[in-house]
Amino acid sequence: MNALPVPTSLLERFWRAARRWAVAWWRILDLGTVVLVLLLSPSSWHRAQRSRMARQIVADTLPILLGFTVLVALLSLVLTRIVVVTAQSYGLTRYALEMVVRVLVLELIPLTAALFVAMRATIPGGMQLAQARQRGQRVGADAVRLDAVPRVVAGVYASVTLAALSCAVALVMAYIGVYGANLAGLGGYTRVFGQIFTPQITLVFALKTLFFSLAVALIPVAGGLHGPWGGAAAGTGALARMFAVLLLIEVVSLMGNYY
Amino acid sequence: MVHEPPTDAPLPPVAHLRLKALALLLFTAALIVGSVLYLLYARGAFEATQRLVLVTDDSEGVSVGMDMTFSGFPIGRVRTIDLADDGSVHIAVDVARREAHWLRETSVFTLVRGLVGGTTIKAYSGVLSDPPLADGAERPVIRGDAGAEIPQILASARQLLDNLNLITAQGSELAAALTQVRTLAERLNGPGGAMAVLMGGDAQAKQIPALLEQATRLLSESRALMARLDAMGAKADRQLFGQGADAGLLPEVRASVAQVSGLLQEAHQTLTRVDAVLAEAQAVGRNAREATTDLGALRADVEASVRKVEGLLNDINRKWPFARDTELKLP
Repeated sequence: MNALPVPTSLLERFWRAARRWAVAWWRILDLGTVVLVLLLSPSSWHRAQRSRMARQIVADTLPILLGFTVLVALLSLVLTRIVVVTAQSYGLTRYALEMVVRVLVLELIPLTAALFVAMRATIPGGMQLAQARQRGQRVGADAVRLDAVPRVVAGVYASVTLAALSCAVALVMAYIGVYGANLAGLGGYTRVFGQIFTPQITLVFALKTLFFSLAVALIPVAGGLHGPWGGAAAGTGALARMFAVLLLIEVVSLMGNYY
Repeated sequence: MVHEPPTDAPLPPVAHLRLKALALLLFTAALIVGSVLYLLYARGAFEATQRLVLVTDDSEGVSVGMDMTFSGFPIGRVRTIDLADDGSVHIAVDVARREAHWLRETSVFTLVRGLVGGTTIKAYSGVLSDPPLADGAERPVIRGDAGAEIPQILASARQLLDNLNLITAQGSELAAALTQVRTLAERLNGPGGAMAVLMGGDAQAKQIPALLEQATRLLSESRALMARLDAMGAKADRQLFGQGADAGLLPEVRASVAQVSGLLQEAHQTLTRVDAVLAEAQAVGRNAREATTDLGALRADVEASVRKVEGLLNDINRKWPFARDTELKLP
């Protein structure tokens, strides 16, 4: 930031900020399209690239899988218990299960999984990319093909896997929290689950999870490739954009579900 | 973050990388496929169903996917809601085949919309021995809406409040009645009191004390009369039952009754003797009747003898020419 000239007027400062904002978003979209093109081109799937991608996937997903699953199980159990006890005190037990599933599985868990992947995998990866670019190790198409694509794919994969696993765990915990550790309520639970997940809700849920994963995978990597140099500075702008996109996706999904 | 390794440094070697990556991919794929299959199962995609069409005039609150229950157990799901040509609503319900036996030809279906919670479709089967409901059957649904009664309740409440306003308004009947009550209370507290209220005026009320005085006098006279009647009763008692040395009339009456009883016994004995006399008289009479019978025979004999004597006299007279007296004297 010190390298930039000091703006002379408010209008010029506003213009510079708007241009930076537009360029940053354009770079994210550009990276997304480039990664998509590279994924669709056979030259990106040679042995070394596949091995690099597999290593990145395993490195980004496996270490956080167990910890996040335990965290989600505890969170689900506590929230389910709170909702069920509160609903019982108001005589609304029949609505407790639906509320738990809607709040946990549809809204909280995908967002939590995306944020967890961003914090543990993609934001540090973007900062590594920024440091490497600062050192001038790899730039241009090589950086995208060799560094960005595996990280983006690994980020999307980790986000989707964590969301799927944590939703399954949350469903099991919600069942245990409402019915206890027995199979007596499985029929009714399955019916409620089927009533909640209408085709429209399911589509919104799938799209939301996909866009969450794309946001947490693309934005930090784009920040690392094109953003300002420096460890902490590289992550700040990308982090803000990523949170803004996650918020926007969440709002749009809520509008799709309930309006 | 400062101590992160440089990006060109090779990632740390992962043992069995290919196997782990494959297992991870398979795990994720299995998770997603399993979730999709469970969702399809929960939505009833693998369930054999039969169609039931419920016809109603209002589908408010009904949504695709909601349950139709029988005795509280869900047995079917709403699949489609269509508006028919005649303006009625056709609610298509998919009923699971394994639960379809609860629905009979005589089953009744209700669409109830409560104040709290969603709309519910319920099925009732009174006679489970009736023929089962056919696939694709159309049935009317009885609609009950607790919320629809609220306007009626509000209208009733408004009418009640209007009536209350009318009752409590200035110049209303209730106000007039309260005025009358106040007037009555004032008259009750007035000089005449309750008597004036009951008699209708002070003049009539003033007659009441005179009437009371007359009644008192009558009572005192009645008391004196009663005293005299008591004295008369005491005298009668004394004469009847006696007092002190005087035995009274009752012992004498008792003695007279004893004498009468003795007389009656004697009369009874006399009558008994009269009976014996009569029996003897009957025996005498019977003897007299027998004697009379014998007298008849005797008379016949006498008559025969007399006739013979007459004949004889006639013969004598014919033979005896001196005697002209032919009169005969019977013995």
